[in-house]
Amino acid sequence: MSTYKLNIPLTEAAVRELRCGDLVYLSGRVYTARDMAHLRARKLLGEGQPLPPGLGREGSALFHAGPVAVRSGDGWTLSVIGPTTSMRMEPHADLLPLLGVRAVIGKGGMGRTTRRVLRDWGAVYLAAAPGCAVKHASAVCAVHGVHWLDLGMPEAVWMYDVQSWGPLIVAMDSTGASIYDRVAARAKRVERRLVNGWLSL
Amino acid sequence: MSTQLDQPELLVPLIEEVIHHACTGIAPDVRVLLEAAAKREENDTARSVLLTMLENARLAYEQDKPACQSPGFPCVYVTYGGKTRLPDLREVFGTAMRRCTEAGYLRPSMVHPLTRKNSGDNTGPGVPNFELDFRPELDYADFVVSFKACGAELVNGVKVFTAATLGPNLAGLKKYVLDLVIKGRGIPCPPVGIGIGIGGQIDVAARLSRRAISTREWTYAHPDPEIARLEEELLEAVNALGVGPGGTGGRTTALAVKIMMSYTHTAIAPVAVNFHCWVGRRAGVRIYEDGRVERLFWRGQHDCPHTS
Repeated sequence: MSTYKLNIPLTEAAVRELRCGDLVYLSGRVYTARDMAHLRARKLLGEGQPLPPGLGREGSALFHAGPVAVRSGDGWTLSVIGPTTSMRMEPHADLLPLLGVRAVIGKGGMGRTTRRVLRDWGAVYLAAAPGCAVKHASAVCAVHGVHWLDLGMPEAVWMYDVQSWGPLIVAMDSTGASIYDRVAARAKRVERRLVNGWLSL
Repeated sequence: MSTQLDQPELLVPLIEEVIHHACTGIAPDVRVLLEAAAKREENDTARSVLLTMLENARLAYEQDKPACQSPGFPCVYVTYGGKTRLPDLREVFGTAMRRCTEAGYLRPSMVHPLTRKNSGDNTGPGVPNFELDFRPELDYADFVVSFKACGAELVNGVKVFTAATLGPNLAGLKKYVLDLVIKGRGIPCPPVGIGIGIGGQIDVAARLSRRAISTREWTYAHPDPEIARLEEELLEAVNALGVGPGGTGGRTTALAVKIMMSYTHTAIAPVAVNFHCWVGRRAGVRIYEDGRVERLFWRGQHDCPHTS
């Protein structure tokens, strides 16, 4: 288990070095996208239309999150921000290469399709501590802007810079490994033993 | 006698205070369990995640910010006595929610379920949800506001068991709960609280499951020893699975299992399983007929340490 400090944009080589269980601290530009932003990005890509600036940049870090944002002057500050359930974005795994994403940050993990895309395309899934929105916001140093605010505050795409954001846990790596799958397989074995015990009482 | 209930200009700020308190930290009972779990946890990564959660709860208090970015879906549990005249709850709570949203304590998160259009201020038909419980003998009214987040909601389950499928030693019921925990992985933001509603028909079981984990203290055992034993057995079984904080492994998967029960028809045994994330955001007030006010699920000095 190693600890890495990485800068965004991320290179494929850098993320391919990471293994499940490693810890990562990220610095640089991050953007958020949840269900509605993925649907809109898919629609625009399908129609051959341009994406807003910053989306689709090679080496980017995509955060499954929606902040509590507060207006300050002409801009915004992110009061708090933390991960949302990544599994909801599983149907959009195929967008990762199209968007140039090398690191997905979220909570709860993703499924089989994402695992394959991470392996073939060269990217990782990083687990952020769930429910720790004040802690995660303490790494935010500047908000660059917001796209698609018509989708509502949580579903809009927020672009901001982080400094040494972490620790984030490498939970799915580019070899096709997933901590979540490992944990579930072990849990299944424990469950079988428990159920057999109850049945034989 | 006139109380806050008859005076909206007093009641609305009081409810605002409750909402603010609920969302800027975790309830004392949840904190106690989280601290105990962090001490027991043997997996280094899991322990560090639990400590980050405790640190986050402290930072929320110190910086006066929402503990989690998602306010979840709000539900107000109202328990009231025979002489209580309830005010216009939708008006009072709607106003208080809107004000707390404007102040940045609640992210505007309520949408039309089909068009997905966000109302922008956490108002909308059915928001918040009210659960009313009339107890003629009481000389007070309780208002407990619960913000239960919705990652947890994604992995809830309802199943109508029968005498046969409950299984010997309730093995069928217990396996159902474990299956949901395993399938849920990190999605419900473990360590979770698990509310289980048993009885009635599926609507009754579902309401009981949400009420159990939203209004019962997570540190208190069920008064019925048989149910208390089932809660304990399930908690131990869930924590043997090794799902861990955030779903990345460890012995701390659940902090509490809370059951509520009602009788059901002889043909069925409906069971609803309702997950609550670790961010136990709930607080309330008890307003007596003589005007006294008590705070419920309230953090005291002891629960908000100024140092780590």
